[in-house]
Amino acid sequence: MTAVELDGIWKRFPGVIANAGASLTVAPGSVHAVLGENGAGKTTLMNVLAGVYRPDEGTVRLDGVEQSFSKPADAIAAGVGMVYQEFRLIPTFTVTENVALGSAPAVLSKSSMEKQVGELAERFGLHTEPGREVWQLSMGERQRVEILKALWRNAQVLILDEPTAVLTPNEAAELGRITATMAAEGRSIIFISHKLDEVKTFCDEATVLRGGKTVASSLSVDDLDAGRMAELMVGEATAVSQRRVRTTVVGERVLDVDNIIVHDIHGRAVVNDVSLVVGRGEIVGIAGVAGNGQRPLADAIAGLRQASTGTVSVTHTDITGMDARTRNSHGLAYVPEDRIGVGLAPRMNAIDNAIMRNYRTLGDGPLIDFGQAESRAASLIERYNIKVGRVDQPLAGLSGGNLQRLLVGRELDDEPVVLIAAQPTRGLDVQGVKAIQDILVEQASDGVGILLISEDLEELFALSDRLLVMHEGAVVGEFDPDTATRQEVGAAMAGAHASEGSAH
Amino acid sequence: MIIAGILGDLQVLLTDTGMWVNLLEFGILLYLAALGEVIAEKAGVLNLGVEGMMAVGAMTGYWAGIQTGSPWAAAVIAALAVAIFAMVHGVVSVVMGADQVVSGLALTILGLGLAAFLGTDLVSQPAGAKFANLSLGQLSEIPGVGPTLFSMDGMGWVALALGLITWFVLNRTRAGLNLRAVGESAATADAAGTPVVATRLVAVGIGGAFAGLAGAYLTLKVTPSWNESIVGGLGWIAVALVIFGAWRPGRVLIGALLFGGLIAVGPRFQTRRCNGDEITNCITTEINPIVVSMLPYALTIVVLVLLSIRSRNRPSLAPAAIGQAYRREER
Amino acid sequence: MFGFRLAKRDQALPGGQVLAFGIGLIVALAFGAVLLVVAGHSPVEIYLKMADAAFGSPQAWSTTLTQAVPLGLAGLAVAVAGSMGLWNIGAEGQIIAGAIAGSWVARLGPDLPGPMLITLMLIGAAIGGGILALGPAIARAHLGVNEIITTLMLNEIALRTVRYLVNGPWKDPTSIGFPVAPELPEQAALPTLFERADISVLIAAAVLIVFGFYAARSKWGFELRIAGSSEKAAEYVGISLKRKILTVLVLSGAIAGLVGGLRLGATDRIVEGVAEGWGFAGIIVAALALMRPSGVAAVAIAFGALRVGGVAIKGQGVPASIAEIIQALVLLGALGAAVFTTYRIVGPKSYSGGDATSRDTSEVTS
Repeated sequence: MTAVELDGIWKRFPGVIANAGASLTVAPGSVHAVLGENGAGKTTLMNVLAGVYRPDEGTVRLDGVEQSFSKPADAIAAGVGMVYQEFRLIPTFTVTENVALGSAPAVLSKSSMEKQVGELAERFGLHTEPGREVWQLSMGERQRVEILKALWRNAQVLILDEPTAVLTPNEAAELGRITATMAAEGRSIIFISHKLDEVKTFCDEATVLRGGKTVASSLSVDDLDAGRMAELMVGEATAVSQRRVRTTVVGERVLDVDNIIVHDIHGRAVVNDVSLVVGRGEIVGIAGVAGNGQRPLADAIAGLRQASTGTVSVTHTDITGMDARTRNSHGLAYVPEDRIGVGLAPRMNAIDNAIMRNYRTLGDGPLIDFGQAESRAASLIERYNIKVGRVDQPLAGLSGGNLQRLLVGRELDDEPVVLIAAQPTRGLDVQGVKAIQDILVEQASDGVGILLISEDLEELFALSDRLLVMHEGAVVGEFDPDTATRQEVGAAMAGAHASEGSAH
Repeated sequence: MIIAGILGDLQVLLTDTGMWVNLLEFGILLYLAALGEVIAEKAGVLNLGVEGMMAVGAMTGYWAGIQTGSPWAAAVIAALAVAIFAMVHGVVSVVMGADQVVSGLALTILGLGLAAFLGTDLVSQPAGAKFANLSLGQLSEIPGVGPTLFSMDGMGWVALALGLITWFVLNRTRAGLNLRAVGESAATADAAGTPVVATRLVAVGIGGAFAGLAGAYLTLKVTPSWNESIVGGLGWIAVALVIFGAWRPGRVLIGALLFGGLIAVGPRFQTRRCNGDEITNCITTEINPIVVSMLPYALTIVVLVLLSIRSRNRPSLAPAAIGQAYRREER
Repeated sequence: MFGFRLAKRDQALPGGQVLAFGIGLIVALAFGAVLLVVAGHSPVEIYLKMADAAFGSPQAWSTTLTQAVPLGLAGLAVAVAGSMGLWNIGAEGQIIAGAIAGSWVARLGPDLPGPMLITLMLIGAAIGGGILALGPAIARAHLGVNEIITTLMLNEIALRTVRYLVNGPWKDPTSIGFPVAPELPEQAALPTLFERADISVLIAAAVLIVFGFYAARSKWGFELRIAGSSEKAAEYVGISLKRKILTVLVLSGAIAGLVGGLRLGATDRIVEGVAEGWGFAGIIVAALALMRPSGVAAVAIAFGALRVGGVAIKGQGVPASIAEIIQALVLLGALGAAVFTTYRIVGPKSYSGGDATSRDTSEVTS
């Protein structure tokens, strides 16, 4: 008897196959880990189970009964609850109101409902205050409200999408106790994770996805160690990607980051004392699971986010006190993770976007010399082979590859000394990826120091001269891509002890 | 000396039964309109068409009063007419997803224009029906509250009842929970199975109906007559009241009475000013009534600034999804 | 319903706004025709009469353009703020503030020569409008206070201020009963351009052209457009949003204030109704013009004609408010129609897979 059985699930999106015959079997009363790299298809598979997507092929069975969900409400009715990484709570509603929303009685009795929610919470050891408004709660408490929402609807299967990403270690340990209580009641918990230690502590079995397929199903977590897990997740070194010739002689330091700490609005250190250097012509890669401080680190270096402490220097000039514009004029270019809306203004046209960095230098006085602007844009378009249709149309309709070439090209237009490239190839098709990677390599050969932040290990191994791994805001390991294995790096990403991973 | 003067003036004003009657009338009128706007905004729809909706309600109510001779029938007709009229805003901003600010302002301009156009012949006609004061027997004999609160007309009690019902529905029923969820986060409400567009349309319709009642009350009680500029900014005060009362029916009532009081007091600084021979039971302080009439707007700005400062480290009291059109993301 | 739904277009329909405006106009004229029939008039006759009054002769053109001036400038004021995503709902009040400041200046220098007095009066008016916008601008930039409500409230305060002035301190002692200020010095009247149009037409045209050019071509205008397109992109390239909000809202108020000054030149004294809805009409104009100066001019002339037509048919016993009704309906119709310039209706057959080609760049060129 199985609580959940997903069999041969295929799900295709334009240009991407997210699930290619993935399967998953979960026993009742167990905590089941689903592991995989970013893009392995975990979230898509879970969204199929939660009724958000309809699979192109394959079957979904609950307790042996085949299901056909056409909307999330169908899955909820069938007893499947999902807790997303981004909580779906209303901050100004109380815990009770959030829990009851969508399945409340016609007339609400505040006290009796709060009592019911309180009792439900107590039964599963979910410490919460039913009358408090959600905005006052910590992330851990909010997560418990999400779990309560599912339990209120009597979910027999609960999916937790990377639940510990937002939790403190203590809160994570408490979550482990909660899932154990729920499993003891006969419910099944699906636990999506990257972290080996918590998989081993919290879960009974694990299923590993890679490239949309299930590569290992229902392994006992006792059989899992860091090496095996990383091997399953990233695979053997199968497709040997074209390694670029590494710079043997790294020039002078062009980027110096010293002891940077960045706090989020809740006062958590999302970047925790990071120091790194990038030399002339060097590509330094930063690996890490999403949400481990890569984005705030890049923003802090580029001047979009205030660092609490620490200094940043470009070619030995301290730029810590400067705003984003002045940093840029000191030779720091930045390809941000959000290419639309941050790096590019989607409602403006290609010319406007092409000159967004250097419009001040185009034309004397208050006016922009648009003749010059057009020729700048034209040269970018030609040099980076950007297909824009009409240059006077808003960018919104361009493909990801063209947008990214425009963004990268513009950032390189003023010949920077340092380029921070955050997820520069994410979401691009094969040719798009190659085009961007070629540009990065070419620029490094020309002497630009590049900090490459990526979740794609293949890319990092192929391009980097040195590889740093970030975990929970800190740099936990440094590797030489020529000698390190993917398993070692994967283990460091999953939070194995830094000393194991260091390969100095 | 000055303090004694002010205290004396205050006594003159507070013992003026006519002032209290006017205060209640304007308070009721503003409360009805503002309550409707609270419902719409709680569902996430800013409707800047209140001024225009009230004009349509005032004209329709006046016309229906002449036709039916019954103030209640006229008020109901006005409420229904304006609920339908408000659907223009509903369709354009909620269904089609156009900007709520522009659509609401267009509704105001359309309403003022339509009321003026259709009501041209009504200007010269006397009122066909009026709301009469409701005597509550012994209660109406009590000095002070007797001739004022306990002698107000039926619409006053209706307004208070609607306020209570609105509070109850918003805070104590599933329908209210869903409506507030739609106004806080349409996507979350949608995920929980609440029909976002339908909820918003209903809220806009109810908001319109309440504005229609307010308009009818204006021409069937407060003035009672009709001309095209009769609303004269009362609709904007209603919009302001929603903010002043922080989107809460109870606080909005207090605000409505306060603003109604300012409207009632203003002219008395002129009509009851001491002049020459009359030196008792009159007002000595020299304040221009027009300056008093600015106070509701000025107070609202002050409250808005205070609310902004308050919400620096906590969520704003305004519904979070206000002004945002919702369309489910297609994958 | 029947499986039809709206799907976002990759690119807004080219010329879509003009199409939406056309649809809005048709909707409005059709509804207006219904009203006219109900009121016992022949719509064709009335509409022809309106068109003739607006465009039928040089004199007609001169009145149309005269009406288009405040519409265009008020529309520009709203559009300046709107291009950055800010709503200046307070143009109405800023027009009044401009008129108050302008007439205050004009009263100071009754002996100054005309050109100088007019110049000072207009500068004063612009400053007056700017000052009224300053409060909301500071509150928005530094405290995040919603500018829609503050500017809206200031409209009513400005209206009551001018009411106070013309009823009290500025009341013309020679006018019996009527609350109006004394006439301004004779040389403050704007010189005639042609027929009934005065030079305000030239001034408005110049402001629109200069501003339109500057917004499109200058570094300042470029930054404004970035901030309007995406605040995060603006921060990314190092534009100070606070300073932009301040300057843009105050500039918007100043342009609206200028309308107040120009109206003084046309009406020779300040009255309570000096703004007479121009500020609100400006919001409609700006919204229809998609916040673009060139569009503002075109819509302003169209609406100016509507107003002239509306006044002209008063003699036929048709209330002039028909013009307002049509204006509002054009906007509402266009707003409703605009949804189809950014969305298209998709039949029940094609589901998500059908969007695959939309990523293709070839669609961009077509």
